Amino acid sequence: MNLFGMLEVSGSALAAERWRAEVVSANMANAETTRTPQGGAYRRQLVVFRARPLPRFPVLLASLQQKPQEGVRVDRVVTDHTPLPRRYEPGHPDADAAGYVTYPNVNPVMEMTDLLSAVRAYQLNAAAVQAAKSMIQQSLQILS
Amino acid sequence: MNGAISSLRILPAEIDTAALRPENESGAGFREVLHSAIDDIQQLEGQAETKVAGVLQGNGADVHSAMIAVEKADLSFQLMMQVRNKIVSAYQEISRMQF
Repeated sequence: MNLFGMLEVSGSALAAERWRAEVVSANMANAETTRTPQGGAYRRQLVVFRARPLPRFPVLLASLQQKPQEGVRVDRVVTDHTPLPRRYEPGHPDADAAGYVTYPNVNPVMEMTDLLSAVRAYQLNAAAVQAAKSMIQQSLQILS
Repeated sequence: MNGAISSLRILPAEIDTAALRPENESGAGFREVLHSAIDDIQQLEGQAETKVAGVLQGNGADVHSAMIAVEKADLSFQLMMQVRNKIVSAYQEISRMQF
């Protein structure tokens, strides 16, 4: 039991969701990128979340806690290995001998949905931060 | 009659004033508690300050973690103030006591 722990958990979720939104934005920005440092077209990136026990914080409002709270963190950013779509564009400088250009496997509709989901999850966790704050303030008003 | 009154007398063994004597006081006094609370809050305020400065200087600090750090410092300060107000008002109550 630790009210600041609630803030820590929600804070870790906020950081993770922000990272997810950043990766989605990178996908959207590179939706038409045909050249990358690794060579070839850009491949869609995905974030993988992992539950993370948070350390205890020796602060004023913290009391003894029985079990560690589960925060969340971005475990890793993986590459989506679905096949890349090919479009017939003979005039394109990156076209192959047959005139086909390999484009990134980024679907704008899917990215937009992911972005909305990340934004909503961010709002959700921000609301949890607000709730934690108002709970602490309520408990402080017991004394006055 | 006299026998009845003397039987009402509290036996010395029953009076335990040890707990009332200040030299037997255990643990930290109010001063130390308040000091350590203020130290804790100063630490939290320092963290909040570092994070806000990081956001303003744009060296990659998260806005939300800065806001949460500020909020933590504020709530700890409010708690400290509430406890201090309560204890000071108790002290004033005692100092107004008439004998």
